[in-house]
Amino acid sequence: MTTTNATTIPPATPSSGRTRGGVARGLLPPAVTGQEWVLIGVLAILWVVLSLTTPAFASSGSIQPLLSAVAPIALMGVGMTMIIITGGIDISVAGVLMVTGVTSAKMLVDHDASLLVAVLVSVALGGLLGLVNGLLIAYGRVHAIIITFGTANLFQFVGRQIFASKTVNGIPSTLDVFGRGEAGRTLGVPHSFVLMAVVVAIAWWYLRHVQHGRHLFAIGGDPVAARLAGVNVERRVLMTYVLTGLLVGMAAVFIVASGTSTLDQSIGSGRELAVIAAVVIGGTSITGGRGSVLGTVFGALLVQTVASGVTQLGWPSELSDLFVGVAIAIAVGADLIRKWARERA
Amino acid sequence: MTMTPHKAHVANLPRAEEPSLVSRVVKAVLTQRIVLLAALLVIVLIWMSALGMGGYLTGSYDPDYLAGSLIDAVPMCMLALAELVVIVSGRGGIDLSIGAIVSLTGMIFGFAYGRWGWTFWLSVLLAVVVGGLLGAINGALVAYMRFPALIATLASYYAFKSLALVITNSIPISDANVTKLYGITRSIEIPVIGSQLPNVPIGVFTFMVPSVVVIWLVLARTTYGRRLFAIGTNDVAAEWTGLNVRSTRFVAYVIAGVIAGLASVYITGQFASARPDAGTSGNGLALPAITIAVLGGVAITGGIGRVAGVVLATLLVTWLDAGILLAFTGNDGTQFQLLALGLVLIFAALLNGLTQRRYGGSR
Repeated sequence: MTTTNATTIPPATPSSGRTRGGVARGLLPPAVTGQEWVLIGVLAILWVVLSLTTPAFASSGSIQPLLSAVAPIALMGVGMTMIIITGGIDISVAGVLMVTGVTSAKMLVDHDASLLVAVLVSVALGGLLGLVNGLLIAYGRVHAIIITFGTANLFQFVGRQIFASKTVNGIPSTLDVFGRGEAGRTLGVPHSFVLMAVVVAIAWWYLRHVQHGRHLFAIGGDPVAARLAGVNVERRVLMTYVLTGLLVGMAAVFIVASGTSTLDQSIGSGRELAVIAAVVIGGTSITGGRGSVLGTVFGALLVQTVASGVTQLGWPSELSDLFVGVAIAIAVGADLIRKWARERA
Repeated sequence: MTMTPHKAHVANLPRAEEPSLVSRVVKAVLTQRIVLLAALLVIVLIWMSALGMGGYLTGSYDPDYLAGSLIDAVPMCMLALAELVVIVSGRGGIDLSIGAIVSLTGMIFGFAYGRWGWTFWLSVLLAVVVGGLLGAINGALVAYMRFPALIATLASYYAFKSLALVITNSIPISDANVTKLYGITRSIEIPVIGSQLPNVPIGVFTFMVPSVVVIWLVLARTTYGRRLFAIGTNDVAAEWTGLNVRSTRFVAYVIAGVIAGLASVYITGQFASARPDAGTSGNGLALPAITIAVLGGVAITGGIGRVAGVVLATLLVTWLDAGILLAFTGNDGTQFQLLALGLVLIFAALLNGLTQRRYGGSR
């Protein structure tokens, strides 16, 4: 849809007529949006306050686990951001996480799988489950929330069957390269965080400068208009769910790697809401059409910083969820106020 | 979301002049969710009974067992009704926080009844008032501040869940008073005709039936109910007809909170203890409640939903689950319940999509 706009702009305004990746420049949102600047500010204040009040916060022993914990949530958040931009949602993330996590853990224990095999199996399986979601949502013409509620149950069933009512014990250290220990870091930065950052950078570029990426915004804004403008809505939507599945598969590897040698059935529980929380705190509009993966990363960082800060201040750890709730309300409230101001202007 | 209604498709379908009985039945099953659910319910009951008589089940799937399994149906039905009211109110209405409200009101009820020495009725009243207040927070965010419901209730889910744990340091309240509450889930013989019938859990009469009747009356027989369906169907049109859209939607969330408060009393009785994670442990209570509401034919887009559908969906899920529990040994039963719930939900949703295209919608 945006390409049509670009070609209709008269050549008298050459700057706005220049395109990149088929998109007119003037139509792009700023590289770092207002919401993201606010999040960066809040994060900076939190980090300064926490390092002043708790001596342990600024140490590497505290920052490194924080980055390790952010990586899987932000990675899943990249896929979830794209889904929510198209106007969909995925509640089944926890189920996919369970299936891929337990499968890769079992591969390691029972079949002595290598790192590469475990990662590939986990990612491929995640993609397959994402394909199930995507096919049902894109071609079954049912609202995403209902389908993923259904598949969340199905995937949990599959995951528990693989668990066979037991924990997976004695997971070898094959995955340590993505883990929390010394083997999982280079120059002090966790590998999982670096990998996540690379994926985020690619996704940021894709959503901002690639035609297919822009299509996702068009679909979220108005699927009928997007179809009339020539967007293959079904295929784009299907792709976002498959991609999310792949990323959840990778996140499962991170989570198994950073856990102990025992994996239990709680691996996925509550994570679907944690991922959605990171996405909406990052400024992505739940009604579709607006959002960015950069915001999602800051959202995940904020949630994890709060959790880590609450623990180190010696407050009950259950309190961190209260702050997460308040953060969601403030982030979305700020977005609503800005929208209201835009409409008034 | 990404779908366009294929109206043109409908026009192209061949239409028989005089619909045959078969096509009328098919149409009834497809367009009337209640007929479909009733048919599924009968199939499940016959199928499970046949399995039971054939000796394939580990216990007997008889009326006594079915009646006993209603213990779990009571809170599920109530919370699904709460979701019905909220989802019908439209604009993406949903309440993810309903399980967290159950946790928090349950704890406050536990404090009042178990620790502060309040009487039972006063404590129940407190639970209901607190539930209503928590619902009002959701309602204010959604109706007045125009938050998307999914986000507002996600935020309050986190906040309420956390508060429920923090106010008791994650320790359940199991004082003598609270433990004795287990009595509210006992089974009783129905008077007069009861000797022929199995004993039914008393909660069905003290909690479930009153909630069902009240919600049905409110939705079907009051102007508030009409207004709720109006704003759920099209809130711009409702606004132009002079309805107070915001207060109507606000009240829907308060009603959901009140029901959750009432359900928390029953759930406290079921556990014989006020647990801070009563509504949020594992998958929580919100997701199953939403699932049952959707299965009961409540349209996620708002404006469509019937109490009878939700009740039938609750019975279907309860009795299907009860049968599955007998069909497998050990933990397998609870796992296959997940499979069944997922399949039934997806099947119902896909059928809705089909109905939409073939008959232009269902009721």
